[in-house]
Formats: sequence, structure tokens, C-alpha cells
Amino acid sequence: MMAIGRATRRRLKAAVTYTTLAVITLVMCFPLLWAVLTSVRPNDEMLEVRMLPRHVTAAHYRALLGGRSMYFEASDAGYRPTTAPSQHFLAWFANSVVVSVTTTLLSVGVSTLAAYRLTRFRFAGQSVVPYFSLLGYMTPSIIYVFPLFLLIVGLGLADRLPSLVLGYIAITLPFCMWLMWAFLKSVPIEVEEAGLIDGATRFQVFRLIVLPLAVPGIVATAIFSFIVAWNDYLIARIFINSVTQLPLTVGVMHFFEGVHVDWGLMMAAAVLMTLPLAVLFMFVQRQLVVGFGAGAVKG
Amino acid sequence: MSVTVREAGPTRAGGARLPHARRLELSDRQLGVLFLLPFVAVSLVFVVYPALDSIRLAFYSKEPFRQAFTFVGLDNFRYILSDPVFWASARQAVLWTVASIVLQTVFGVALALLLNQAVRGINVFRGLLLFPYMVPTVVIALIWRWMFNPEFGIVNAGLRGTGLVRGNIYWFSDPAWAMVLTILLNVWKFTPFVVICVLARLQSIPQEIDEAAQVDGAGAWQRFLHITLPQLKAVLAVVVVFRTIWTFNKFEEIYLLTRGGPGTSTFNLAVYAFEQATANLKLGVAAATGVLMLVFLFASSVLYLRLVRQEEA
Repeated sequence: MMAIGRATRRRLKAAVTYTTLAVITLVMCFPLLWAVLTSVRPNDEMLEVRMLPRHVTAAHYRALLGGRSMYFEASDAGYRPTTAPSQHFLAWFANSVVVSVTTTLLSVGVSTLAAYRLTRFRFAGQSVVPYFSLLGYMTPSIIYVFPLFLLIVGLGLADRLPSLVLGYIAITLPFCMWLMWAFLKSVPIEVEEAGLIDGATRFQVFRLIVLPLAVPGIVATAIFSFIVAWNDYLIARIFINSVTQLPLTVGVMHFFEGVHVDWGLMMAAAVLMTLPLAVLFMFVQRQLVVGFGAGAVKG
Repeated sequence: MSVTVREAGPTRAGGARLPHARRLELSDRQLGVLFLLPFVAVSLVFVVYPALDSIRLAFYSKEPFRQAFTFVGLDNFRYILSDPVFWASARQAVLWTVASIVLQTVFGVALALLLNQAVRGINVFRGLLLFPYMVPTVVIALIWRWMFNPEFGIVNAGLRGTGLVRGNIYWFSDPAWAMVLTILLNVWKFTPFVVICVLARLQSIPQEIDEAAQVDGAGAWQRFLHITLPQLKAVLAVVVVFRTIWTFNKFEEIYLLTRGGPGTSTFNLAVYAFEQATANLKLGVAAATGVLMLVFLFASSVLYLRLVRQEEA
């Protein structure tokens, strides 16, 4: 057998690792890559079998962002432009942003306060609440959604954006609570006690000592609730009826209505819909691993 | 909100307060109640109440276009248990869940091991491979529908190009292929979740034992089987339970991709409940399905935990 030097072996091993990683990454990312490529492909090239488009066009993005109607409908008076789903894209986008951000703020705020109370004050059955919350998150959302809808109708909020915020909080709050509880449990209590002895009030201790230490947990929790709210389809589908009040997820599925499916338009919508998450992800990738590791695994 | 003037209550630290700290403030106890109140109120109204109401609805029937609910006893359950579509949905749900979990656990562990290596630029790969977890299900469903489009999709084009397949595969009209696609979507989206959890654990495992075994001449596979895997057991047990429950409950992954079709061949119980409530307007039947799902999940969790404990004993 040929003797291989140590350095050569290490280099060989690295090469194998890189190649494997590159291939897997390519396969895993191909669907997203394909969506991007399709979104800049002109319509007349759409049915050709080739990887890269011959021309690059922004027409699909312009149609979405400019709110132009893309297809036409036959009527007695000949062809006339109809209200295409693409006209509402910007409104849907705004709805999704407003609802997701509101949900995140409320969910994180409420669960952080409650988790602090549960980890720092002794009382009988103090760990019942977090485990009970986890049980809540294990329950199928299909169980909540219809009774919740009846409740929303009773409150007179049906078909309005606040109903979505309430629905998403119902889904996210139990798990947010669990994540924050698991995280705050691991934040040492001694610093706080020192603060209290030095004459700081409990609220000052919370605001100036606990919150800064809890940032990774808060980030993970916020990401979680933002993703849930941004990605939800089921609740919005049940709660919202008017086309202008829809979030992106339900709205974009309207692109399948009508005889003609415009794939370029649809892939452009898919890309724009993923973009906020991609930006978010780049900023917080490290904390995601740390925070979720603490909450989901060590609990 | 009323703030009462009173001396600060005893603190955990033992009430060692300086006199000048006495001022208008809430006692610890009051603050604690205030901190917990929003969570308790919201949970009771928007989580606990709907869950209980859903159990109540399981015993009621609502006539379409009428507001009234009438008590029907166990009729909804009788209806479900005699519905062949329910049993088919249950079988498909189990198949879908088991296949998804096995695949994403195996891929997830393999990928986590690969990503745990200390090579340059590993963070770029980590980022790219974890990202699918954040992609909205709607987006994946759109992309899947486009990629697997029978006439114009890239997948069929690729298969034709390799010469392995003649003609087009009609992915969404064939029950078996439709099921494969929904499993594929689930595995693609949630393998990163397994990776995140396993990677977090791997990074806390000390390298010394592994290196010692390597010096003693143990191969990579042996080291994985006898050193790494036992340390991952606890994480994997938790991950598998979580993912199984979540996968079993999933609605969007299936509904958005195949609408449960062709026919009802990719229905799971969540899709079945949704269709009962929206297409058939049987809210009670949907609620009863949800209750059965809960019972099933509870029973299998207990069984699983017992198995795990038996193995440890």
C-alpha cells in the first residue's frame, strides 16, 4: 500500500468534505435557485428546457410591484382587463408585515414577562405552566381554528387584520412561553440579587439586568413567532374573506385561479415572499442555533 | 392601572434595602401578578377556551346556514368511524408521518455531522442548509408545483434527458407519486430543524473521547456508532417526539401541494377535518376528528415514552 503523508491525507479529507457539502447544498438549494431563475425568465422562454434564461427580464417583478393586471377576461363587450391577483400583491405584502410584526411584539412581550415571573418567583406548581404551554403547542391547530373563528366572529373581528394577530398569538404564545422559560432558567440569578441588594427595584433589575442577558432567547423566540405568522395559511384562509385584507400566503394561492397559470409571476411572488425571511436569517443565524438549542433540546 | 403607595415588600435578596429606595413602587408580589396576567388572560381566552370549545363541538351538530348548534351525543364519532375516507386518511397520515420522520432524522443527523466539522467557510454551508426551515410552506408548494409540472417542469425534463424515463410522469395525478411529493416537501423543509437540534448537541460534546478512540484505531463508523450516537440519544428522542406530533398535525404541507388529491389519496386527518368543516360544513365532525387526533397522539406518546424507558432500564 502506498504511504500517504499526513498533510496529504488531511487535504484529501477536506476535499471530500467540501465536495460532499457542495453537492448537498446544491441539491437542497436547487428549488430556491430554480424559483429565482424562473422569476427573471421572459414568458416566451418559459416552456423551453434550459437552465439559464437567454434573456433576463424584470417584467414579473414589475407586474407584482406595479399592481398591473396581467390577464384578460372575456365578456359581452369583448376583452377587458380584470382584477388580477397581482394587483393586490403590495397590499398583501403590507398586511403580512403588519400582522407578523404585531404578533411578534405581543407574543415576545407577553411570554418574556410571564417567563420571568415563573423562573424568579417561587410558588406551588411553578413548572406546571410551562409544561402546560408545551402541551398547548402540541395540540393540532386544526382543533383551535374553528372555535377560534366562532370567537372572532362573536367579537366582531372577522375578516379584519386584528383577527389574524389574535389567531397567531394563540398559536405562537405557548411555544414562545416555553422557549423564554427554558432560556431564562439558564440565566444566573446572582447578578439580579446583587442588583436588588444594591437598592435597584425589581423592575429596574428586570429591565437593566435580565433583558440584556436574555437577548439570544428573545431573538430566537421572536424569529419563531415571526416565521409562524409570516408563513401561516390555515388561519388566514378561515378568518379572512375580503381580497384586500388577505396576507401574502392566502393571496398568492389565488394565482392558481383562472385558466392561465403564470409561472413567472408566481415564482417572482415566491421570491419576494421569502426575501424578508432571508434577510432576517442572515442577521440571526448564529443566535438561532444557540437559542433553539437551549429551548427545544435541553428542556 | 392603579399604583398604590406602600413600602416595598420583602425581596428574594432578603429586604436589605437602603431607606432612600423606599418610594412609590409596586411590591414584588404585585409586579409578579402584573407580569403573569397578560399571559394567563390571553391563554385562557384564545388557547384554553377554543380547545375546550372544540371538545364541546365534537358532541354538537351545526346545520348549514343556521346559527344554532344541537346536541347529538356521539353521532359525530359514529359518522367518522363508519367513514372509509377517515380510515384511509388515518392510514395515509401514519405513512406520511413515519416516512417523513425516518428520512429527516437520518438526513438530519448525517448533515449535522458533516456541518460539525471545523473546516473553513463552514458557516456559509450551515446558513445555506438551514435556510429551508424558514421558507414559507406556500412558497415551497408553489415551487414544487412548478418543478414537478408534468409538461413543463424541470424534473420531468431532467428525467427525460437521462433517458431513464420515457414520456412524462404525472406526479400529481398518481396517488403514489403525490404521496412521495408531499413526503419530499416535508423532508426538505424540516431536515434543517433536526440539524439545528443535533448540531447544538454535537457542539457540546467534548472531542477528547473521539480522538482517543481514533488513536486506538477505531474507524469512523465505529466511532459514530459507539461514541457519538449514544450521546445524541437524548436529543433525538425529544426531536423525534416533537417532529412526529407536529408532522402528524400538519395541514398546509399537504393541502397546498395536492389539496389532498388525487381524490383523497393524500388526505391526512387535518386535511380530512378541514374538508369536513369547509366543504361539507360539518363543524361537529371536524371537531370530533380533532379530538380523535389528540387521543391518538396522546396514546402514541405514552407508548413511545414507555418504550424509551424500557430500553433505558
